[in-house]
Amino acid sequence: MQKQSWMKLKDLTPAASNSINATVILVEKGSTIEEGKEKTKKCVALVADETACVNFQMWGAECEAFHPGDIIRISKGIFSRHKNKLLLRAGKRGSVEKVGEFTMLFVESPNMSEMRYVPDTNLPSKLVPESQLTKP
Amino acid sequence: MTVPTNPLLHYNPYEAKHQLDLSLAKAYLLLHSQLKPPFPLTIPSPSEYALLTQALAFSLLTQPDLTKINLKHLHASATDGYDIFTTTLLNLTDNCYPKLLPVPRTQLLFLCSQLINVAAFKVDSLVISLLRRINGGDFTEPNLWLCAELAKILSDNWDWLIDEPLVLTSALFVFLRLLADHYRLVSGPQLDELKRLEISFCIRVLRNCFHLCLGIGRDLIRLLQDLFVIPEFKELWKDLICDPCKFGVLGFSDLCDIYRIKTPRHYFLLRISQEMEAQLRFLLTHVKWVNQQRYQVWFAKKYLSLPGSETVIVDVIRFICQCYHPSKEIIQSNVISRWAVIGWLLKSCKRNYFEANAKLALFYDWLFFNDTIDSIMDIEPAMLLIVSSVPQYMEITHCLLEFLFLVVDNYDVQRKNVIAKGVLGAFNALVKRGVVHSLEVLMNCDKLSPFLREKLSKFLFDKALVSQEKEIIQMQSGDHQDQIAGMPEQAHQWL
Repeated sequence: MQKQSWMKLKDLTPAASNSINATVILVEKGSTIEEGKEKTKKCVALVADETACVNFQMWGAECEAFHPGDIIRISKGIFSRHKNKLLLRAGKRGSVEKVGEFTMLFVESPNMSEMRYVPDTNLPSKLVPESQLTKP
Repeated sequence: MTVPTNPLLHYNPYEAKHQLDLSLAKAYLLLHSQLKPPFPLTIPSPSEYALLTQALAFSLLTQPDLTKINLKHLHASATDGYDIFTTTLLNLTDNCYPKLLPVPRTQLLFLCSQLINVAAFKVDSLVISLLRRINGGDFTEPNLWLCAELAKILSDNWDWLIDEPLVLTSALFVFLRLLADHYRLVSGPQLDELKRLEISFCIRVLRNCFHLCLGIGRDLIRLLQDLFVIPEFKELWKDLICDPCKFGVLGFSDLCDIYRIKTPRHYFLLRISQEMEAQLRFLLTHVKWVNQQRYQVWFAKKYLSLPGSETVIVDVIRFICQCYHPSKEIIQSNVISRWAVIGWLLKSCKRNYFEANAKLALFYDWLFFNDTIDSIMDIEPAMLLIVSSVPQYMEITHCLLEFLFLVVDNYDVQRKNVIAKGVLGAFNALVKRGVVHSLEVLMNCDKLSPFLREKLSKFLFDKALVSQEKEIIQMQSGDHQDQIAGMPEQAHQWL
């Protein structure tokens, strides 16, 4: 089994793989909407750590489970584009659980969901935030 | 025999399992077959004993039908005065109590009384932790149940209790404080029974162990004042004022003898929960100015949203003034200051009754301030809230100063000079230690009402007060030099 490595939100880059392991605090929660024939519940929340924040997509029962102030551990999550929005989510193979409340510092900028990502100068197959672009 | 999943703690969906729950359940899984007789006659190794104790704790908490046999096993195997067992229950109480399911909760209280019966090691700490678990401003059934259970357990174990002064006085502190809130609630059979238990317990302690009660110090008077409307306490007050000898305690002949005693800080932990304490310490240690908004909203939502819950603000303010003294590094850093948090808490009081009590809680240490035994850090938040509100929030400055003078004049009319001296001493110490450069910031403030400026001037330069204050300082430095316990001098460099 692969060893999990925990990351900070500032190091998020969009990818198709579910490899995001992070501990965050839920800062603000949007309203829950019901989508499609099955009325699947969806909700987007702002989550953050000491380095950055990001928009976190919740599905189904997740929407009712988490509240502002909750400290959440995301394992094997995905950070990818969905309907032209960059969102962090647990995904089908990931998991999310509440591990605490309140006692975590956070910042409300930069928001990684609003970053422009461009190919890295030295390694074009890798995406990096435009602001972190290294000189060739 | 199957054990239901999660018989100990309640988990909401997507909630991580608690570490303590996991280890207790694991110990049970490993050893549950050994929990039935015949019990082994060999003495277990320390690690085996620890595991056995944890397994027994899990079973005792979650399988009430097996209580008799498990207790037998516990008593037979305890070789450490029940230290590990009680510590396990203590950890559970401190870290998981709010999540305990009803059966384990009932069992926990039952086990506490059993441990008192055998005078188990650390059972005093367990009782105190459980007392903290009675939430202030929470009038739901489970919370009132806990309150009644503890009152019953302590009343039923009086002989044990009178040999445990810390538990006795802590329990008194807690029930006096709760009674003030419970007495104002609408009656009902459960509540009436609870009030009767609380009154009976408190009066018994006060009438029989007053010499121990004195150890609580001046906040005892603050607590007793809110109970004046209760007939039994009215009688007590009559005796306190008119017949102090009735209490038969050498060294107590007047209320001033109690005012003189500073309440030890640990009492103020009793009225805030373990989680509330952790959150307040985190807020005041790590959260920077400007970032406190979110945390304040979350704190208010969790602790101050139910009707009547604002009563706990009084206890939070006592905690902040007395139990959280930031280091020099924190004061000089960008972390939010105590005065700002207290300002927010005062604003959160919706009703006058609670706001008045909250302000009294903020100024209480001023009233009897004695530079040799009291800490400048107890009185610093109030002063800084007053001056920092100039000029943008003058209504706060006015409100606090008005209140302070009102209290000086009316708190204890017969002992007004004692209180005036205390407050004068507080002002002087605040200037002497550099919390404020001088009081000119108030006296020369043209935004401050002329009435208050005059009142402040008159108060500070009252010749009678000043000379009495000088006398006291001379007395104190002469007689009490050796008693000046090294209270660290918090010299601030105020920008």
